[in-house]
Amino acid sequence: MLVDSPFIPASALEIEAQKSLEPPGSGPAFGRRLATLALRGGALAVFVGVLVVFSAAAPFFLTIGNIGNVLGQSAIAGVLAIGLTIVIIAGGSNVVTGGIDLSLAANMGLSAAVYASLVQAGQGDGVAILGALGTGLAIGAVNAAAVTLAGIVPLLATLAVMNVVAGLELVLTQNTVVPAATDFLSALSAGGPFGIPVLAYILLGFTFVVAAVVQYTPLGLRLYAVGAFPDAARAAGLPIRSFVAGSFLASGLCGGFAGILSVSYLSGSTTGAGDMLLPVVVTALLGTVFSRRLVPTITGTLLSALFVGFLINGFQLLNISSTLVSGVQGLLILLVVSATTLLGRKESI
Amino acid sequence: MADTTNGGAIVRLENIVKRFGGAAALSGASLSVKRDSVHGLVGQNGAGKSTLIKLLAGLHRADEGTVEIDGEAYDRLTPHLVEELGIHFIHQDRLLVPTFTVGEALFLGRELRIPGTPFLDRTGMRRKSAEILARYFGLSLPQSALIADLSAAEKQIVQITRALIANPRVLVFDEPTAALVRREADLLFQLIHRLSAEGITILYISHYLGEIVDICDTVTVLRNGRDVATLPVAETSATEIGALMVNRALGELYPKPDVIPGEVLLQVENLALAERFDAVSFALRKGEVLGLTGLVGSGAKEVVRTLFGLDLPTGGAVSVNGETVFSADPAEATEKRLALVPEDRRRDGVALDLSVTENTTLASLDRFSRGLIDHGSERRQTEDLVKRLQIKTDGIDALVRTLSGGNQQKVAIAKWLSRQSEIYLLDEPTVGVDIAAKVEIYRLIGELAERGAGILVLSSDIEELLGITDRILVFFRGRVTRQFTSSETSPDQVLADVTGAHETLRHAG
Repeated sequence: MLVDSPFIPASALEIEAQKSLEPPGSGPAFGRRLATLALRGGALAVFVGVLVVFSAAAPFFLTIGNIGNVLGQSAIAGVLAIGLTIVIIAGGSNVVTGGIDLSLAANMGLSAAVYASLVQAGQGDGVAILGALGTGLAIGAVNAAAVTLAGIVPLLATLAVMNVVAGLELVLTQNTVVPAATDFLSALSAGGPFGIPVLAYILLGFTFVVAAVVQYTPLGLRLYAVGAFPDAARAAGLPIRSFVAGSFLASGLCGGFAGILSVSYLSGSTTGAGDMLLPVVVTALLGTVFSRRLVPTITGTLLSALFVGFLINGFQLLNISSTLVSGVQGLLILLVVSATTLLGRKESI
Repeated sequence: MADTTNGGAIVRLENIVKRFGGAAALSGASLSVKRDSVHGLVGQNGAGKSTLIKLLAGLHRADEGTVEIDGEAYDRLTPHLVEELGIHFIHQDRLLVPTFTVGEALFLGRELRIPGTPFLDRTGMRRKSAEILARYFGLSLPQSALIADLSAAEKQIVQITRALIANPRVLVFDEPTAALVRREADLLFQLIHRLSAEGITILYISHYLGEIVDICDTVTVLRNGRDVATLPVAETSATEIGALMVNRALGELYPKPDVIPGEVLLQVENLALAERFDAVSFALRKGEVLGLTGLVGSGAKEVVRTLFGLDLPTGGAVSVNGETVFSADPAEATEKRLALVPEDRRRDGVALDLSVTENTTLASLDRFSRGLIDHGSERRQTEDLVKRLQIKTDGIDALVRTLSGGNQQKVAIAKWLSRQSEIYLLDEPTVGVDIAAKVEIYRLIGELAERGAGILVLSSDIEELLGITDRILVFFRGRVTRQFTSSETSPDQVLADVTGAHETLRHAG
């Protein structure tokens, strides 16, 4: 009889090591759990710390009015980050090969331009809404095809699509501002109950609906399985490619939706949507830190959108140069990604 | 051939052929599992067990042959269809999402919903999984625990439970005891008896023949991609099954020339690498083929890596031709005429998108260039080697990607022949190549020995090692625990030391 050594997963050495490390009853991953706790606790502590520092420096910071303001200002980035979160859930959170949609900011720009141009051309809001959502969905479909049919890694596929979409926007708007004003748009950008902007309520409502689907339905559970362990998902009979394609369609729709919000917020379509990319990526990546299992969640993304929003808002209130904001966001990406990657590595050993 | 009385067969695979690239993993294998039986499936590494099981699971598609379930033929099985037919798998690699809770992992794909809503019934899933775990295993796992926090045995239990929830008619266990200790394995056997008594048909794949004899009533033996026998266990023995698994025509399979070893080429003294291996000493002589074997993590592989300078040893000394080697530096190893042919040749051994010529001369370009590469002599050298090693290729300009696994391996060896290496470190040289190419690689190893090279072969195929080496060193837990003279021992003896049968609680069948 022969030895199939590859079929013996744990070596005798490892088994021995596990035994000595692991008193009966305790989980094998005590250290990892501790690190996870530290990371989550640390993130919350930083969140609270930032709020405290800013509110001490600028007394206006923690008033209902300002909080509503921050929520409203975070609405567009938040919706985009939620779209990105869906893609990350379905594609897995490996930074290089996992799910990512870099075309989201450009998608928002083009969708907004389509909306504004349709309004300029005398179309009603209904047609413009369909136009914007259709644009977003089409971009999502191109991403989905590039990733699931052509087999290009999302990082590269969506980078390419991002440039194509940004180019289309330039062609459509001739690199100018396209103003758009309708009653519907003004209603969206108006103040709502309790002096909180309508956009803030939209962000909360949108989060609620998406979180319900992603975190509380079988569909969402399957989405997580596809991203976290495709082999397990396949063994459970799930069509992996459909889930991944679906996630890009959903994020495309989020891009279209964010485009509508941005037309309302800016009273038209403006150039420079690409600047939105960094904050959106920060928000989605940072979101994992706000979940119990250190996985991307919709509610975690909302929290992190608020965190990033408060950060920008605080900088503004304290008159700190906004050029610093990009730097801080870049740092946050490095921090979060290296922390979660290191934790992930520890888990796999 | 298989006992194919059609009556009562719940799963029937007939004359299945499955090729991967050039190599046939299955070449006409049949398997017929009777309703309510506990059917064992055994075979060596590479005999085709895993391929056959993946085929039944709908993960691979057969190139030829028929698949019948309950007497009905299926052209294309999908994992989903297989589940609907009531066939469930306990895979050897535990396919569970690490970030899921036990309840979520158990119900993935057939989640419970809160009645009247589209939402997950997490409480219901938790309660039902606790019920099943208690009923079959007398076990309670913390329901909030994540899969990543469970032990290997607990994960195994979750996988079995996952299958039980679906009320299976057939359960397929693929090497279920590999990660279990004796006590856990015994519990598993009791469970299998119980499931069988409840009317579930069991297909049990294992290379531990003792287990097969204990728990199965029928056994099918696979060898080289086909079934060579299906026997009632009551009428056979572990020894007979073992003999069937092994190809008996050893002489034909292992062409080994008689070479009298010459002077010492490579001397290893008390070599150590922290937490990997310790006090490893041996000498390799001219014309000698020395085998190394051991389980994953036993240190054998790490010794080979260290010899080639890929890891820095924490103690001991290595000398080549009497000169001490100092640094952890593959460049120095190459300089000292060491050659490493790594296990994962597609990743580390050859450059798939370069031609045969380019690969062959890659490590010895100095010989063919004075500033610019002399393509004429490069091609002459390659043509010579292709002929000598009988590399099957569409010409020396063909991309290595287009070659079969065995021929890719020969190119990886040709690279070092061109470099005029003297000491060859071969890491699992025949993994993933078909039997004909294996024999050619064995012949090549013999030829190298005849020319006075020293060859170190690391392999987990003990039969292969016995056939082609002069001596075998067995590694266990980071030490050389036994040395055999290949012509004076048998696979069982070596195996006992490999699995540490003499020194550990691990059961070795």
